[in-house]
Amino acid sequence: MSVCNPNRMLLLKQPIRSWCMRRAIQTTSVTNKNLRAGQYKSTIHRTKPLTYEETQQPFKIGATKSWNSWNTSNLHEEGRASETTTEDMFIRKFMGGTWHRLLASEVIIKRRHNMIIIACLVFQAVPPRKMYFLSGYTEELLSTFLNCPVKVELQTVKDKKDIIFKYI
Amino acid sequence: MSVLHKKQAQTITDDQQDEEFRTFEIPGLKAKEERKKMRRRTKKVHPPRHLRMRTDQEWINVWPTASTFKWSAVPFPVRQGFVKTQTENEGVIPGKYANAELMKIPNFLHLTPGHIKKHCQAIKKFCTAWPRGLETDESCEKYFPLEVVESDYCVSGPSIRDPRARQVTVKVKLSKLDLDYHARDKMLRLVGNKYNHETDELTLTTDRCPLKKQNHDYAMYLLTALYHESWAREPWEAEKTEADMERYFWDQSKSKSGIISLLTRIKNIDKTSHSEPDARLIPYLPEDVTEETLLLLPELQTYKEAVEDLINEGENHTTVMNYKNSVKKLLNIKTPPS
Repeated sequence: MSVCNPNRMLLLKQPIRSWCMRRAIQTTSVTNKNLRAGQYKSTIHRTKPLTYEETQQPFKIGATKSWNSWNTSNLHEEGRASETTTEDMFIRKFMGGTWHRLLASEVIIKRRHNMIIIACLVFQAVPPRKMYFLSGYTEELLSTFLNCPVKVELQTVKDKKDIIFKYI
Repeated sequence: MSVLHKKQAQTITDDQQDEEFRTFEIPGLKAKEERKKMRRRTKKVHPPRHLRMRTDQEWINVWPTASTFKWSAVPFPVRQGFVKTQTENEGVIPGKYANAELMKIPNFLHLTPGHIKKHCQAIKKFCTAWPRGLETDESCEKYFPLEVVESDYCVSGPSIRDPRARQVTVKVKLSKLDLDYHARDKMLRLVGNKYNHETDELTLTTDRCPLKKQNHDYAMYLLTALYHESWAREPWEAEKTEADMERYFWDQSKSKSGIISLLTRIKNIDKTSHSEPDARLIPYLPEDVTEETLLLLPELQTYKEAVEDLINEGENHTTVMNYKNSVKKLLNIKTPPS
């Protein structure tokens, strides 16, 4: 539409014919990349805090940030891709509910043989005694649900400011 | 209880009588005593472990097994992340503290040279010396001609079983088996495309049973059955015709009878029309021409080999030239001098 606009054409310094031809021929394929999914909207005064994980867009996975699920089910000729994904979703929901308002990062799920290792950052908002209870509770219940040993490997964060990477 | 109540009531009435009037307090006039803020007592968190580590400590004791990266236990500085502008983390790559990226990636802090040395020492008692006389691949092939290939699979899943692990492949070179010409030919016919002509290898792959052990046993049974079946000579095998032959045999071919009748006819012509030896069509033929005497001739033997090579090996420069020369020699054809 803008090409056909006569006012805009007048603004162009170069001959219209050559400009149109250059515009019309496209030799490369169209990039259907969705640049809006999984991105956070910025605020006027740039006051919204984001973690490193949230700053990196989904298409940067494998380049500037790595995956949150580590398993072999997506490799060539390996099965169980759907089961693993469903279990991972369940684990994430479970962690979000059990460690309510305590999680400081995404839940990282690593699978080694039949063992599931859950790693995450948590705030030091509850006393250590409760934290030990919660991790034991998580391990015990998830082991029962998923029929395999589950290990929780936590790291605590003192302040919310420690995980902030950028304000947008 | 009732007595106590009465006593209290009496004291209240006494006080009121003493003061006569109760003072009226206007709400908001007098500043209230500030309530003490209840502050939750937070326990002091210990300083990270790497600050208390000695420089000559045993790293194996710090990081004994595979584990997620722990910033508090790692004594060296490490950073991970990507910073684009000054607005991101003040332009500094995030350090090890509270860095989820470091927790995601697999680390090899449990596989340092010290760890490996300790692992090796632990499993050394299960190791035995390599058997003497099996230093080279040739000697291994000689003493252990049967090769069995099995696989185990490690996957991240709740089950340690893998359906692919049941497959068993057995390889053996046919030259290592004790077979005569008939048995070898029959074996090749029985196994079909499981035999590799280039490597002389017979490959049996079994995966029809649910367990590896069963498939191994089945492969062994197959090999045994094949071997004995190859040696067995069935009555119908005598009915083999030229079309059933696996290769060309000149002795059983039409070429043999044809060349013998031709040579006999030439000898008859020589006998009747050419009495002097120099004028004979084929001078080397003996006086009594029979099949036995003809077959003993070296010219006919070379012709036989040339024909067999030509058909079994296929037409190439060597075989065709050999065939040409043998025919020229056999029929005494001389190239005219140019």
